[in-house]
Amino acid sequence: MRILAVDDDPIIQEILEQFVGAFGDHDLATAGSAAEALELLRAPAAPVFDCFLFDIQMPEVSGIELIRQVREIALYSDTPVLMLTAMSDKPYVDAAFAAGATDYVTKPFEVTELHGRLKLLENLVEARQMQTRKIFAAAGLSAQKQPRQIELHEPISIYDVDNVIEFTALENYVAQLTRGKLFGSSTFAFTIRNIESFHEHLSAFEYCSLVSDVAEMISDTLANRQFLMAYAGSGTFVCVTESGWRPKMSALMDAINLNLARSELYNNAGQRLEPRVCAGECLRLIWKNSDTIMETVSAAHMSAEAASEAYERRLTDYWDMEKRA
Amino acid sequence: MTAAFDMLPGLQRVRDRFIALLKDRQLLIARHTLAAWDGVTAQEVNENLHAVQHILHQIAGSAGSIGLAELGEQAQECEMLINSHLESAHVDKPRCPEHVAAALGQFVAECQVLTDAAAA
Repeated sequence: MRILAVDDDPIIQEILEQFVGAFGDHDLATAGSAAEALELLRAPAAPVFDCFLFDIQMPEVSGIELIRQVREIALYSDTPVLMLTAMSDKPYVDAAFAAGATDYVTKPFEVTELHGRLKLLENLVEARQMQTRKIFAAAGLSAQKQPRQIELHEPISIYDVDNVIEFTALENYVAQLTRGKLFGSSTFAFTIRNIESFHEHLSAFEYCSLVSDVAEMISDTLANRQFLMAYAGSGTFVCVTESGWRPKMSALMDAINLNLARSELYNNAGQRLEPRVCAGECLRLIWKNSDTIMETVSAAHMSAEAASEAYERRLTDYWDMEKRA
Repeated sequence: MTAAFDMLPGLQRVRDRFIALLKDRQLLIARHTLAAWDGVTAQEVNENLHAVQHILHQIAGSAGSIGLAELGEQAQECEMLINSHLESAHVDKPRCPEHVAAALGQFVAECQVLTDAAAA
């Protein structure tokens, strides 16, 4: 991978050169400030980087602001960003994930830890390159034969929605939560009802737009609360909050659906789309370790999908009753 | 950490540079701590404490990766003391807390021991 590390501490830059050099197949470039990094990225003959390592606390422009500015460069809208930060930066780490970070490593880091994290990012980069190749391949086919590019279960990326991050980033964030206190942390999820039908009848672009619009409605409804959310695929959005907030899920679901009802969503043919969500249980993350915390997030995810299925079943039962009557 | 040094011989060179840089950082910490202690306005005190916090943050972030974990932990403890003060209700007072100045004085002394040992 071609990596750009940005840190104002020359010692960290040298440590990274030593560590990354030992892993073999990577090229590392360094910058001492956000301004220097942006200048490098925007230069006409700039090399293309596969991954970024950003310090958070830097003078003038912080690593968090740097993520925002890098995400505005089309080429780097979803390039993995690994934050390098000291333990005491927890509130900044939350802000970094909200701004688009993929993962973070706590300073001081060990060579093996950094190696492991870079390996995960490398897998992510390879998966993205493969996806890009598929899309380019599909673009060469005729419209009639063009395969559906988006799978129902695919955790598609959602851009420019407040507090919505990639699912991989949410998994990394949750994994790091186990190091801190989890007393105030909870997880919950929402599933778009009848998502299979939307997936079947909409084009890939329309489907992505629908998922993004629902994400925006959920994010707007949760505004003023501390939370991070990711789209997990199959119409389900998973949320994590650390603020001690324990939402009443039925009321929250009603508020989101009310906002969705007020919004005017249409497909490309001008037909109105009326997505609605079902909410699962709100589960506390307290006393969970690294092995069980993701199981709890999965349980919240599954409870939202189960609620959606139960809702659809009840609809069918209702019509059965009508027939019997 | 020894394993890391065995695996990465270049790390010893980084450590030597860190120690050389620590002499300058130690001097800056001492200078800003004294300026904070002698400060007559809250702004003067806080600006100097911010400057010390930034240097400590860098030491805390790198020392552990080059076999100086204890120094890194001491730097982090001092950084937390400064942060607590800067986030407290006393931040508007033109006074550097005594316990913060004492901790920073101790840290400067620890740095001196380390740089002297490296020079010997």
